[in-house]
Amino acid sequence: MTSGFGLGLRTEHYNDFLAEPQPVDWLEVISDNYMVDGGKPLAMLDQIRANYPMAMHGVSMSIGSIKGLDKEYLTKLKKLEQRVEPMWVSDHLCWTGVHGRNMHDLLPLPYTDEALQVVKRNVEHAQEVLQRPLVLENVSSYVEYESSEMTEWEFLAEVCQATGCRLLLDLNNIYVSAFNHDFSPSSFIEGVPIDSVMQFHLAGHQDNGDILVDTHDHPVCDGVWDIYRQALLRFGYVPTMIERDDKIPPLAELISELDMARTVADDVLNTKVAL
Amino acid sequence: MKLAELQTTFQHALFDAECTEAEWIKESVRGLSSRYRLDVYHNAYRLRLIDVLLDTFEHTAIYLGDEWFNQLAADYVQTHHSTFTNIGLYGREFPDFLAERLADDKEVSELALMDWKLRRAFDGADSAVMTLDDLQQLASVESSICLQAVPTLTSCTQHFNTLDIWHAINQDETPPTAEPLPEAIELLIWRKGHSPHFRSLSKIESAAISCLCSGETLDGIGAILEKDFPEVDVATEFGAMLRRWFDDEIISK
Repeated sequence: MTSGFGLGLRTEHYNDFLAEPQPVDWLEVISDNYMVDGGKPLAMLDQIRANYPMAMHGVSMSIGSIKGLDKEYLTKLKKLEQRVEPMWVSDHLCWTGVHGRNMHDLLPLPYTDEALQVVKRNVEHAQEVLQRPLVLENVSSYVEYESSEMTEWEFLAEVCQATGCRLLLDLNNIYVSAFNHDFSPSSFIEGVPIDSVMQFHLAGHQDNGDILVDTHDHPVCDGVWDIYRQALLRFGYVPTMIERDDKIPPLAELISELDMARTVADDVLNTKVAL
Repeated sequence: MKLAELQTTFQHALFDAECTEAEWIKESVRGLSSRYRLDVYHNAYRLRLIDVLLDTFEHTAIYLGDEWFNQLAADYVQTHHSTFTNIGLYGREFPDFLAERLADDKEVSELALMDWKLRRAFDGADSAVMTLDDLQQLASVESSICLQAVPTLTSCTQHFNTLDIWHAINQDETPPTAEPLPEAIELLIWRKGHSPHFRSLSKIESAAISCLCSGETLDGIGAILEKDFPEVDVATEFGAMLRRWFDDEIISK
């Protein structure tokens, strides 16, 4: 498995990556931003890809859509996958809209057997097209459904077991959902199969007091670093990245945060070995 | 509640202007109402789409000012659902929406259309560009030559001094008062290298571009221009035009 520490590639940092080598092991690109016909986005992608391994991360597959996946979307994604030759391709365990509408949000699924069958079917479809395991990320949520029959981690474990798909654990999303729905982040970490985890996201959120909102526009908070420590103990070295989606700071600031992740990982795992 | 019903209900809840309580949402351990929690999604949906409009229609937003633009954008979001997986395409109907809402300020929709077309040129399809040398080589083996425009080439018509307004905003200056033009102008928009470009067209060049895009041969374009512009030295004019087309990189290989 590829390891190392990466960053999400953002347009604000194109010039930094083109100007000189940066101390990141790999980059994650938002697939949807490059599923365009041409122009600067694809030209930048090609130039930067020449020097960095990449992972592709999508936001619009809508894996929980009851109507099945959008074939045109999958075709475009496959075309981009062939261009980028990424380490892996990920999207979110969510749905984004029905009846031909798109809400451009990562909406949570009910954790029911019915939804499980839908997700399994859709994951298998995506994997058939991509010809590789899909990687699914857990989302932050602000509501739970009356109809849910299992926990999010039980649901994810079932999907992995049935389809062979892998997981991208967004540790900030675990933190946010755990606070909002009053579960223990440890239960989540302990509840997903060890071999299924391909990547960690570290990010920040907005604290509204009585509810946490996943904004991915803040530095990683202490609570998320604690979850990272727990995750490292369970899963070992897993490719880890800082994900910042808004209020993008200078690259040096994110690299410094990534260095913190390296230090935390080394400390936790070296201590574990010593013990 | 079955998945299909839940997704439809949730979607309607976000589309509705007012966020309301939802019995299908599990009770909060902190005693927060379902409406309060659903409102996070309800707000995020609107903010995200308004942000996309702000980003796509940058000059229009500056021209209108934050308050007016945000109000119009919010109304657009309330009346236009996205049918796109690419969120960048969400503003496709926004210029038409502005034309209807601001019927007495048509320069606004013209500005929005210009913003929209420039943005679309930015990530439009690539194509290899033909040079004058390529044309000369082609002319040595082909008797009838049909040129093809680059895929990002498009145009729009402006009846107001919208172009001056756009330039003023772009240079961070106070835009001039909107005024109708004595005669409408045609604006050519395309991408050269990585950057969207535009320039206004004379009547004869506008006619020539129109012929080019409808697949006329070079001889055919010349003949049409001779017929429609009898007062012009078409051979000289068309020759200069062609050289400019190659300099501007609007002809595809």
